[in-house]
Amino acid sequence: MPVVSVDSLTKTFRVPVRESGLAASVRSLFNREFRHVEAVKAIDFTIEPGEIVGFLGPNGAGKTTTLKMLTGLLYPTSGSASVLDHDPSLRERELLKRLALIMGNRNNLNWDLPALDSYELQRAIYEIPKDQYASRVESFVELLDLGALIDKPVRNLSLGERMKVEIGGALLHHPEVLFLDEPTLGLDVTMQQRIRTFIKEHSRKTGATVMLTSHYMADIVALCERVIVIHHGRIIYDGALSNLADQFAGYKTITVTAEQLTPSMESYGSVMSVAAQVATVRVARAEVSAVARRMLQDMSVLDISIAEPPIEDVIADVFDSSEPET
Amino acid sequence: MRLANAYWVQARLGLQAQMQYRVASLFSILGFIIEPVVYLVVWRTIATAQGGAIAGYTADEFVAYYIAWTLVRVTNIGLTPYVWDGRIQQGRINDHLTTPLHLFHRDLASFAGWKPVWIAWWIPLASLLVLVFQPQIRPSLWQILAFFGAVITGFVLRFIVLWVLGLTAFWTTRASALFEIVTTAELLLSGRLVPLELMPPWVQTLANWLPFKWTFQGPIEVVIGKTDAAGTAAMFGYQFLWIAALGVLTAVVWKRAIRRYSAVGS
Amino acid sequence: MRAMRLLGTHWRIAAMNELQYRANFFVQLLHSGLSLVTGLIAIWLVFQYTPSLGGWSQPELLIVMGIHIIVGAVLRSFIEPNMRRLMDDVELGTFDYVMTKPVDPQILASIRELRVWHLVDFVLGGLVLGYGMIQLSTTTSALDVVAFGATLLAGVLMVYCVWIMITSTAFRVVRSQEVLNLFEGFYQTGRWPVTIYPVWLRGTLTFVIPLAFAITVPAEALSDRLSAATVVLAMSFAVVIVVVSRAVWRMNLKHYSGASA
Repeated sequence: MPVVSVDSLTKTFRVPVRESGLAASVRSLFNREFRHVEAVKAIDFTIEPGEIVGFLGPNGAGKTTTLKMLTGLLYPTSGSASVLDHDPSLRERELLKRLALIMGNRNNLNWDLPALDSYELQRAIYEIPKDQYASRVESFVELLDLGALIDKPVRNLSLGERMKVEIGGALLHHPEVLFLDEPTLGLDVTMQQRIRTFIKEHSRKTGATVMLTSHYMADIVALCERVIVIHHGRIIYDGALSNLADQFAGYKTITVTAEQLTPSMESYGSVMSVAAQVATVRVARAEVSAVARRMLQDMSVLDISIAEPPIEDVIADVFDSSEPET
Repeated sequence: MRLANAYWVQARLGLQAQMQYRVASLFSILGFIIEPVVYLVVWRTIATAQGGAIAGYTADEFVAYYIAWTLVRVTNIGLTPYVWDGRIQQGRINDHLTTPLHLFHRDLASFAGWKPVWIAWWIPLASLLVLVFQPQIRPSLWQILAFFGAVITGFVLRFIVLWVLGLTAFWTTRASALFEIVTTAELLLSGRLVPLELMPPWVQTLANWLPFKWTFQGPIEVVIGKTDAAGTAAMFGYQFLWIAALGVLTAVVWKRAIRRYSAVGS
Repeated sequence: MRAMRLLGTHWRIAAMNELQYRANFFVQLLHSGLSLVTGLIAIWLVFQYTPSLGGWSQPELLIVMGIHIIVGAVLRSFIEPNMRRLMDDVELGTFDYVMTKPVDPQILASIRELRVWHLVDFVLGGLVLGYGMIQLSTTTSALDVVAFGATLLAGVLMVYCVWIMITSTAFRVVRSQEVLNLFEGFYQTGRWPVTIYPVWLRGTLTFVIPLAFAITVPAEALSDRLSAATVVLAMSFAVVIVVVSRAVWRMNLKHYSGASA
């Protein structure tokens, strides 16, 4: 029984066409022109309980629109979504109590008060039993290292500290589904890591299903086995993160160390870096073994390794290559 | 039960947050209290010059009117409609919508929660006004109790009016013009500027058909003895009627606002 | 001279900036229009019941109201926005940018902002003032007009000085919005001549928040009740308050530099 299932989900926005100038704005009061923008085009996917799925795509690809439809913030134009067997667009309390939406750079806690006070409010709203509440707060304090933070007014916390208390508050009710939209945006590397570890650990312990968008590939690599890639409103990949390169990167990289490199390294493929004895070359997937064999023949090779390209590059390639249809 | 608990916690949070700004709230209240002092002085001067009373109000009743006014004003502050623009544009509304508690309840509870701080400041200031202006009116215990009750229901009523007004921000980014007009209408038609008896008869009739009067002059009349038990009961009746009617309206408008928001996004 | 040039530059930038938001003009026009209507209704109501308020006739009260609106325009277009920015800057620590400019920080902090649309009130206030003058039965001499101009300028200067004292002192305890609320409350008293208020309030409005000098005294000049003694008092008090406010500013500046080490 999938936790999230989406069936030809579509969202079209009607955007008023605005011209500049006073005359045009007066005119537009009476006669507005609109243009239709398809943000999400008939996408399908399902997510099983306990999965952590990365949702990738460049800005404007439709990630946030999809997350908003799954949390009841936006109604689909057509198609349907189901989360925990509920239609999110009905915004039923039973569903809202079982999910959480966390957006980076957003604050849902009272600015002037210590986070612990806002946690109390979460307890009341989500009806968390007292003893469970106490043990959850305690465990979050330990896992997220909140000890020194939850007694201070939120406004006195740094951006990263605020995100930590924010995430703690959002997970107090142990949501069964967790939607994270850029949770690590603007945070430093250690803080990102901390939050990643926490999310992973929390999902493992509570069995929560997680759907996550991030611009930081490190987040995705650390958390997600499965990724869904969306581009121009369409899903262009849905599968294991490890297979993404297979499908989209038409090349691998060969790093070779030799006693003396041949002067014409370009003959093997496009040279990515070259130093005294080490060079890295990008080679079309189909030719990898042939090129490697040639290298071994041409030089006295000390070491050779063949690798998948870095995931960032693969993603960048994916988005570059699939042009929008009009 | 769940709602009561959430109200309680939210109100406590509102109180705690407001406690941090004790001094700031004193500043605000001082600013608020100057307004009725101006009216008081003007109308007491006129009433005295005209032989002691105009339009059925004695100089002393004007004094009592505007002192009672201060508690009404301090209590009936609601969520200004202007915050909705920010809530929608900055997407803060999203957090509220994914929370299984109606935003109206959160707002109302939070505002109710910080009233005690303001009322704590109001007591010495009002006592000072009484000392300075020496009103000779002595309300009975039941009048005082009824007044406090009416101030609270008046707050709820005015809170609903402002809240539903704020929802227009879901439809237009130029809602502030509407707020301005309503605020002016309220000033003139609620008894905030002057007791409505001083207004031309048609204005008084108009005021009877609008909710504003029941959030200002209605409660004040109770405590300064301008109305009897039957009048007080009727005043509560009007308050509850308006709360019920506008409550239904708010529920309907909120549903439509969310539907609209969910269709267009922000 | 340098200050005037700076002022010109800042105003030009501020004006260009705001002219982009033309819709705000209509919002402001509506706001000013509504508050004018409210003010006129209040005066009309008063004169339904009395021929004069504390010795002031209806045209004379219109003159007071006109000046009140004009002073309000100076406050809201110029003084308040600058003070608000100053408080925000201090809170956010961006006041350091002001301190590091080769200009007197008080001058720079006082001229950076201009809300052009509030200048609508200059026109409305002028109209009300003019209408009051036409209705007036007494004649106004050139000397009266000079006295009016001089006392108005001195009064506005005093209000500015008080504002800068409050602003530079108060940021340690309160948020800018509350200070504005308080000041706004006091400003509303200026709609009526201060002579109608009880002594304690009149004293406050004269020597603590000198709206009496900014509004009532200039109105007295135009309604033929200004005495030479009042003019002398206004001018000497202006000098005192300028000196005091400068000293307070310097003290607070020192505190600021000490605190943000």
